[in-house]
Amino acid sequence: MMGPHELYFTASLILIIIGIYAVMSKRHIVKIVIGLELLTLGVNLAIATTGLRIIDGVSHVDALAQSMVAISMAIGAAIAALALSLAINIYRHYGTFDVRKLRRLRW
Amino acid sequence: MIQVFILLGAAAAMIVVDSLSRKVGIREGGGIFASMALFSTLILLWVEASKPPQVTTYRVFGSESPLTASLKLDPLSLYLSMIFCGIGLAASIYSIRYMELERETGLDRYYLLLLTLVAGMIGVTLANDFFTLYVFWELMAISSYSLVSFRKWSWEAVEAGFKYLLMSSIGSLMALLGIALLYGLTGSLGFDVLKAALASGRSPAAHLSLALIMIGFGVTAAIVPFHSWLPDAHPAAPTPISAVLSGVVIKTGVYAMLWSLFKVFTPQVYGFGWIIMGLGALTMTFANITAIMQSDIKRFLAYSSIANIGYIITGMGIAAHVAANYSGEFRIVALALAGSLLHILNHALGKGLSFLSAGCYIVRAGTREISSLGGIGLKMPATTTSLGIGLLNLAGIPPLSGFWSKLFIASAGLGILSDISLIAVTAVFILNSILAAGYYLWFLQRIVFKRGAGGYSSEINEAPASMLAPLIALAATSILITIMLNPVIDFIQSALGVLLG
Repeated sequence: MMGPHELYFTASLILIIIGIYAVMSKRHIVKIVIGLELLTLGVNLAIATTGLRIIDGVSHVDALAQSMVAISMAIGAAIAALALSLAINIYRHYGTFDVRKLRRLRW
Repeated sequence: MIQVFILLGAAAAMIVVDSLSRKVGIREGGGIFASMALFSTLILLWVEASKPPQVTTYRVFGSESPLTASLKLDPLSLYLSMIFCGIGLAASIYSIRYMELERETGLDRYYLLLLTLVAGMIGVTLANDFFTLYVFWELMAISSYSLVSFRKWSWEAVEAGFKYLLMSSIGSLMALLGIALLYGLTGSLGFDVLKAALASGRSPAAHLSLALIMIGFGVTAAIVPFHSWLPDAHPAAPTPISAVLSGVVIKTGVYAMLWSLFKVFTPQVYGFGWIIMGLGALTMTFANITAIMQSDIKRFLAYSSIANIGYIITGMGIAAHVAANYSGEFRIVALALAGSLLHILNHALGKGLSFLSAGCYIVRAGTREISSLGGIGLKMPATTTSLGIGLLNLAGIPPLSGFWSKLFIASAGLGILSDISLIAVTAVFILNSILAAGYYLWFLQRIVFKRGAGGYSSEINEAPASMLAPLIALAATSILITIMLNPVIDFIQSALGVLLG
């Protein structure tokens, strides 16, 4: 029987794995940014889960974990905005969203 | 404490100050304002540092100890924030003329981001719990992504910025996941509570969280499997920002690793010293060999930064290894950590000097290729003298303080002769130092003495005075630290007192 903690942790792990897969394998820059967002969501869900306390069958919520998730979501939004603005600039330079076309930087 | 808020307040006021000063006809208003903010912060930090060493904590919000966001002020955070602020100040003064000569626009945003970058770095060293550290960390990270891609008209900056953003934010998220695991394990994120809770026993979850935190902070510190963003990102930024990124931003990664290793996960309980030592040896060997093959002056300096991170990480690893396996050898632990901390200062000064001097050559010659810069050194003697002091400091030529930090790490590594792994890592360290000294001197002689190949016009003047001033100040500081090494070592010792208890 899965308790709520196991359930939420599994969900967050699945989100993190999908996010990493998308970042690694997708070629479209916007899809890569979506992968990054999924990764952020997974981590946020993990933080929220650590704040869940079940005492005598009644679930309580830790306020600090909730506030951390709120701050972390704001930071994630800032990063997504910056990433998308860079995607627009990449499109202006290369005329494509294909990440394989930007291999002009050497090792 | 108040130091961070001065910088953040100045950043908030920057747009207004810049547009007002443009209205009255002063184009450099933003730069002067940013330099003044950084200078007053540096003075405040200096005042704090001249008091007797003590640890103070401030509560930001929350009621009791486990449920609070708090800041601390101790000799270690003072030591590092003074380095961060000093290099930031030099870069800010240098930018005033540099950005004008490079015809960059949007300078109000540039100085705003520079101020939030330095505020984030200082905040990381002041944080007293993991979540505050993470928030300042992201403040620093987002500012540095934007600054790397600041010259958005060039494909290099945009592409390097995107690569940096992707790798570094995945790293930060891994660290955040590790932090979330720690919160689930202990119900708190304050460093003191965490240390006490984690020292009592090992668990797989704690090891996983240690690994995640090391990977996360290791991406920003550019240790070798996670370094590949650095040689693209640092050269793509405007040169003063390269100096800040290469000189100090990667040091916040080192600080976060150092703090989590010694103040959260006790080395005696979690035996990770050999992993850190091995990563350090790998980092410096890889980076030194790759640095030799570079033809671009800024990429060359960027690889040399990775190598220097390798030295610092190795010192940390030796300290953790000895602390975990040889309980009586406290002196060696302290020696290795003192070497690492002193090298943080030496590398910040040396790399700041070399990047800022390289910027003077780039502005005057209009090229970044080392082969076309040959012989330019004799035409710009003041710049070359500063570059020489910086490179000799990095190379560890004996009277300079760069020699002493490497000597501390090497002699700590040779402290226990019966341990094969320590001896092997120290041998790699010494070989790398000799190799690095060799290519720094080779690089210097190409810049100064090589003749004929100049791809620049023959009438080259010395860089403008306001660009030379921060160079000369940094060079003078390097020499001053060499002469007055004892007070610096004393300060580092009080910082070690915080770290080792």
